Amino acid sequence: MTQLALVLAIVVPAVAGLLTLVLPQRRAPWAPAALAVLACAFELAIAVYVFPTDFAFAWPWMGFGVEFALKLSRLSAFVLLGIAAFSFLVTMYSAVSMSKASASRRFHAWVLLTVAFSAGAVLADNLVLLLVFWGGLLLTLFAMIAAGKTRPFATAIKAFVIVGLTDLALMFGVMLYGHLAGTLSMSATRLSLDGLGAVAFLLMAIGAMGKAGALPFHSWIPDAALDAPTPFMALLPGSLEKLLGIYFLARVALDLFVLTPESWVSPVLMWVGAATILLAVMMALVQKDYKKLLAYHAISQVGYMILGIGTALPVGIVGGLFHMVNNAIYKSSLFLTAGAVEREAGTTDLRKLGGLGRAMPVTTAAFLIAAASISGVPPFNGFFSKELVYDGALARGWVFYAIALAGSFFTAASFLKLGHAAFFGKPTREERQGKETVKEAPWPMLVPMVVLAGLCIVFGLWNALPIDRLIVPALGHAAESAHHGPFSGFPTNMLLVVLTAGVLGLAVLNHAFGVRRTGKGLGAVDHIYHAPGLESIYKLQATGALDPYRMLNGAAAVAAKGLFAIDRAIDWIYNVLATNSALATSWILRRLHSGDVNRYILWTLAGAVAIVLVVLAVVGGAR
Amino acid sequence: MSDLLLLVPFVAVIFLNLLPKRARGAALWIAFGVLVLEVAAAFAERFATIEVSAFAALERVFPFHLATDGLAGLLMLCAGLVGMAALLVARKTFEDADDRFFFSNLVLVALVGINGIAMVRDLFSLYVFVEVTAVATFILITARRMAGNEGDHAFEGAWKYILLSVIASVLMLTAVGFLLLSTGEITLAAAKEALATQDPLAWIAMGLFLCGLFVKGALVPFHGWLADAYTAAPAPVSVFMAGIVTKASGIFALLRIAQSTLGGAAPGREILLVVGAVTIVVGAFLALTQTNMKRMLAYSSVSQMGYIVLALGGDLGIGILAAGFHFFNHAISKSQLFANAAAIEKELGTLDMDEMGGIGSRMPVTAGTTAVATLSIAGLPPLAGFWSKLLIVLALWNAGEYAFAAVAILVSLVTLAYFLSLQRRVFFGKPLEKWAKVHETAPGLLVPAVALALVTIALGIGFPFVLKVLLGGGA
Repeated sequence: MTQLALVLAIVVPAVAGLLTLVLPQRRAPWAPAALAVLACAFELAIAVYVFPTDFAFAWPWMGFGVEFALKLSRLSAFVLLGIAAFSFLVTMYSAVSMSKASASRRFHAWVLLTVAFSAGAVLADNLVLLLVFWGGLLLTLFAMIAAGKTRPFATAIKAFVIVGLTDLALMFGVMLYGHLAGTLSMSATRLSLDGLGAVAFLLMAIGAMGKAGALPFHSWIPDAALDAPTPFMALLPGSLEKLLGIYFLARVALDLFVLTPESWVSPVLMWVGAATILLAVMMALVQKDYKKLLAYHAISQVGYMILGIGTALPVGIVGGLFHMVNNAIYKSSLFLTAGAVEREAGTTDLRKLGGLGRAMPVTTAAFLIAAASISGVPPFNGFFSKELVYDGALARGWVFYAIALAGSFFTAASFLKLGHAAFFGKPTREERQGKETVKEAPWPMLVPMVVLAGLCIVFGLWNALPIDRLIVPALGHAAESAHHGPFSGFPTNMLLVVLTAGVLGLAVLNHAFGVRRTGKGLGAVDHIYHAPGLESIYKLQATGALDPYRMLNGAAAVAAKGLFAIDRAIDWIYNVLATNSALATSWILRRLHSGDVNRYILWTLAGAVAIVLVVLAVVGGAR
Repeated sequence: MSDLLLLVPFVAVIFLNLLPKRARGAALWIAFGVLVLEVAAAFAERFATIEVSAFAALERVFPFHLATDGLAGLLMLCAGLVGMAALLVARKTFEDADDRFFFSNLVLVALVGINGIAMVRDLFSLYVFVEVTAVATFILITARRMAGNEGDHAFEGAWKYILLSVIASVLMLTAVGFLLLSTGEITLAAAKEALATQDPLAWIAMGLFLCGLFVKGALVPFHGWLADAYTAAPAPVSVFMAGIVTKASGIFALLRIAQSTLGGAAPGREILLVVGAVTIVVGAFLALTQTNMKRMLAYSSVSQMGYIVLALGGDLGIGILAAGFHFFNHAISKSQLFANAAAIEKELGTLDMDEMGGIGSRMPVTAGTTAVATLSIAGLPPLAGFWSKLLIVLALWNAGEYAFAAVAILVSLVTLAYFLSLQRRVFFGKPLEKWAKVHETAPGLLVPAVALALVTIALGIGFPFVLKVLLGGGA
């Protein structure tokens, strides 16, 4: 029964997705959205149904150790639940927000296929099977960005190239792992991190971090924020990709390898995490667009998770995974508020927004809770997961802690600015223009964001619920091995709490200073932008020169010229030599088949004689 | 129970001919019903061996034992599905009621032969049922009075088939005689024991029998008859013949012998490997430059049969499974392609691919299902054909036959090349002016094509499950 349920968790959304493509759109324009909501509800039901069980099975598949193996562990059960829940909320939301878009049908089809591939990737217990689903996600990612409005195709290509490259790294990592471990099963052996093992680890970690959108594989996300549909941002870069990427990173660190603090890859991961936190949040700080600001935060928050897992300490890993859950909750809630603002006010440009709080009280409330949560304000959920990550980071070195804490400061500062600019303050005449009719968003859009905001509070006040019920059991051996008191409840290290509170207070002071200086909420961080040294970096970034994708393209152009010459030569072999010799062979054979029956009889008899002679030679020789 | 599979079609033929002339329209549906039973029987629980001893006095020399197993069930399933498709095509392409009646009769006669081939366990009975099937086929090809037949071409096609079949009969009968001389018994099991002792006479007998089956299955260089016979036959006959009839009498019999008698012994294994590889290569290159659509499909059949025989030369543990699965996939996809060819011929009046172009926009369903079938046979994932080819390559790899595995993989490229050229020449591009008025063919003719294409897709995507059932069922 569980076996059937797991297969259905993959098959049902896939079939529903394909079905939406053939539904009669003209007669029933609501059908794709309805089917998507139903299928996601079904997925959610399955995820809840299988949640308490541990189950694994394997069917033979491609041979060479590649099996169709699915496994439901604590970790995957809980990520599957997350995927199902987020996709359900987002499809419900997009049923309204996308209802007018002409690409609604295709969008829902891609969402459902994404859910199917994600469920497959989370349940897969064989690395090649995982690669198959992982690759499928790349295709749906491309298709969903391409379904956006303005210049989406270039962005889709950019995402495809970046994520595709990390997928390639993952593929090599899987090959290397299979070679070293002698198995492709994901729960058979744990390799130690020395020599080639560390290389395999890093390659697979690149695949995971690429999916999660950490630096330097992030640069398509801010572009997509402007070009792709908002529900897409809430679903993929907002929640599903983080869940998948961090889930897989945790699997790699816990099930495939033995990650110890002594290994040199642990600091590598921590530096990637720290750099992601700081650089992305600095970019988020100065954004003047609601969605783009959120997109940079979507990158920055991944840094905390990678930092947490990279510490290789139980407290850090628990914190990283808890942060993964929390981030998915508040980040998708934030993206949904952005979608509501976009729908009602017609823009997400902060320069044209202001004072929406009065017209959209529910959206504002949801925003406030989610923003407090992402900034790490107690007692919301983000506070608790960040404290756990801080705890782990400080144990590994004060510099990691300092960077993480600085990240908190800028996060808080940028959300103060965002909230001030969008929802509060007195709108200027220009900001009011054309927005007299702004009203609250319809309920199917409000329910998901309110539910998510509510979860921010629940997971904060009762953080024992997610930590003790979901995350610690999911870790199993890793969490038990070094148990130093409960992870849940209020943080034990009061010094860290005080420092956090201090930093948050500083952020408020900084905001007050900036607002007084420029006279408006949007200008709250201008003094940081204009700080000596920083300004030139920001300007350089604005030209795109610091985008790794741009650099890659530049290098690729040079390499391409050299390869072109080689390519022509190979091309000649394929296109001229191979084709012509194949055609010549075919022509000769056709000539031989003249249709003359005598000739055919002759061949038959000759064949028979030859076979009898061979038989005689072999059998006679053996005697 | 097993004997019912022989009796039911046989009685049905007699019944059909007792029908008053007015009621003959029902013949096609009666035959269809028999085929439904056939498919059901394929899924029924494996019935135990029963022994029908027709000639009690000659028990040792002419035993007549019937038994079903997973392999027999596979053939019955293929026969049932392909037969249904052929009957549905016949319903739409034979305009004369007499033609449909005539065709239904012959399908049932061939079915007697096919079921016999599925169940017998000795070489003489195998020969008898192969001949029963062949007789039905001769008549199907030559039936000049049937509509859509190209006069003398049909006679030429059938003539070549008869001539080469006679040679095959002589080879097989000689083989039976030699085996009787050598061991005094002709069951497959007895032959296996004789072969194991490296008895030269038994081995010559086996070599000759294999040659006979190579002719029936049209493996290179015994394949001269096939292209003309397939091309000349009217559309439903091609579907039936290419999909199952010649495959059952030649290739399935080889599968049975490889499983029960050869068991991977030298030099039988080497013969299968070499003949299989030569067939794959020659068939594929012959298909590459054909201009007649049915002729291209015919040579593609030759090439694909080579894959099945090649698999039998590999590791038999996987080889039988691989060969059986490829047999099934090919039966489904090739009969579907011939059904598509029938649709095109009906709408366009020609099969010359040089005259076609851009039909895809006029006949989208036919174009789509053709693409599914061709890509499956060419072995593109995730369609069913990919998996059977993968299993074939695995069987060869496990047996250490790396060179033959390489041939199997490389010729897949040629397969893809000729099928893509088919798609391009027939369906892609702008419709030519003379086809501007062509429209999608009748729904009745689309049903078999769509149904078979869905089978291909479902099997491909659900392959882990299929494989589990296959391994569990021991097919």
